[in-house]
Amino acid sequence: MDETYASLPTSHLLGSVPAVVSENKKTTNYEVPEANLEIFPPADGGARGRGYQALGNVNGGDEQQAANGWKGVFNVSSYTQYFNVDTDIVLERIKSSLNPLVGNFFRKIEANPDLYGLLWISTTLVIVLASLGNCATYLIRKRNDSSTSWSFDVNFLKLAACALYGYALLVPAAFYFLLHYLGSSANLVRFWCMWGYSLFIFIPSSILLLIPVEFVRWIIIILTGVASASFVSLNIKSSIEANDLIIVVVAAFLLQVALALFIKIWFFP
Amino acid sequence: MSHSHGDTVPLHPSSQSDIDEIENLINASFQSGPATVLPARPPSPPRASIPVSSSPFMASNLPPPPQQKSSSTPVPPALPPPIPQPNSHQNISVSGFGSPPNTLTEPVWDTVKRDLSRIVSNLKLVVFPNPFREDPGKALRDWDLWGPFFFIVFLGLVLSWSASVKKSEVFAVAFALLAAGAIILTLNVLLLGGHIIFFQSLSLLGYCLFPLDVGALICMLKDNVIIKVVVVCVTLAWSSWAAYPFMSSAVNPRRKALALYPVFLMYISVGFLIIAID
Repeated sequence: MDETYASLPTSHLLGSVPAVVSENKKTTNYEVPEANLEIFPPADGGARGRGYQALGNVNGGDEQQAANGWKGVFNVSSYTQYFNVDTDIVLERIKSSLNPLVGNFFRKIEANPDLYGLLWISTTLVIVLASLGNCATYLIRKRNDSSTSWSFDVNFLKLAACALYGYALLVPAAFYFLLHYLGSSANLVRFWCMWGYSLFIFIPSSILLLIPVEFVRWIIIILTGVASASFVSLNIKSSIEANDLIIVVVAAFLLQVALALFIKIWFFP
Repeated sequence: MSHSHGDTVPLHPSSQSDIDEIENLINASFQSGPATVLPARPPSPPRASIPVSSSPFMASNLPPPPQQKSSSTPVPPALPPPIPQPNSHQNISVSGFGSPPNTLTEPVWDTVKRDLSRIVSNLKLVVFPNPFREDPGKALRDWDLWGPFFFIVFLGLVLSWSASVKKSEVFAVAFALLAAGAIILTLNVLLLGGHIIFFQSLSLLGYCLFPLDVGALICMLKDNVIIKVVVVCVTLAWSSWAAYPFMSSAVNPRRKALALYPVFLMYISVGFLIIAID
């Protein structure tokens, strides 16, 4: 597969991003007892993350810095470790997110959580909601009074973007901080990954929500909401060890159902 | 090497004399037999003393002090007739060793024409891919951002004109979607571990918008929904087909779909905007 790389004459061009070889990072991870995929963002485990790097510099240990892989907030290559997935891995994670009955998602993403799913599933959902929401209002208007005084509402896009990106970024962060406050351990990247993949089921159900029959729409959205919420809550439950944090699990379930209802009410009224 | 880090590297002392030798040879070739060997830096006075001159370089030369003129009087009688030609060529040869000639003094039309022809050639290379072309990497090396800028603004304007309400919001959404989308797509390829240069990728994604521009223009002129859907599908396929080789060769083959899907997503959303705006 390296022929494609060799054929690109990029080495003599200015500004090309040097290749990030992530295999080395994986093999040197064992040297660092707390592999720094656990600690994200480094600013948060603040002193620990920078402390490793500072120690590495003082001791002249290059491996520690390479194992951390964090070259600064504005360096693209420090984020490539969270996008280290292939097509088949992403497809397999999507398929497992459609299954609401088994809570083993965290075990699947243990070694290699990715933020690709979060980013592109939420972006796809934003675009799908904005476009299909407009389609749905058009169909309802045409069906009811057969006068096409409908005009494309650009606000759907803004609303969808704010709501979905806000939900996908803030809810996992809130749960992360809440669980830390309550003493249990949590990992922010894995939470983001899991919540991102949990949004996938809304994409096909949005297509089904185009059916202009109100009763059918409610059935579809309730089924989708429950499936997605049970996926989230089962995984949360399997990831926190203490069993008296049931309230957290219930809160996750309710938030996901609330998101499903919001989608139905605002975009497919 | 103790060169200063500026745009120009100071000449090695021996190269200055090489330059002068070459200048002398050029002068000699115009004079058909050198009467005298000109000094290292030919003085400007001989040129300034000749009133007939239309070359722009003449005008920029300051009038010489009279003493130099008298000291070089043996030289001008041999030189006057051929001086306008060799001097202008001399100036070109002098400037050829330094900064590119003429870009400050050429007509504006020449500059614009040069940029336009570069846009057209990049467009032909990117949007009408020819598998048998002799230099497939040419568009990648000659990237520019004027073309993408025109295409994005044109698409925003066409969408804004077609919209019946909220015209400025439509333009803002289209422009933001395309500009931010191009940046995010490039970052996506970089994050997946691909090899791509940021501005080259922006340039290519902008040029690949050209078919959608054409489609949007046709949709603005014809208002039938069926025709719009057909036109948008055709131009969408064309845009994706144009963007496919660049994106897919930039990443690991196992991640090809991960890099291409967002491109497709962006073009579909633009296509949907084109269909839905009426």
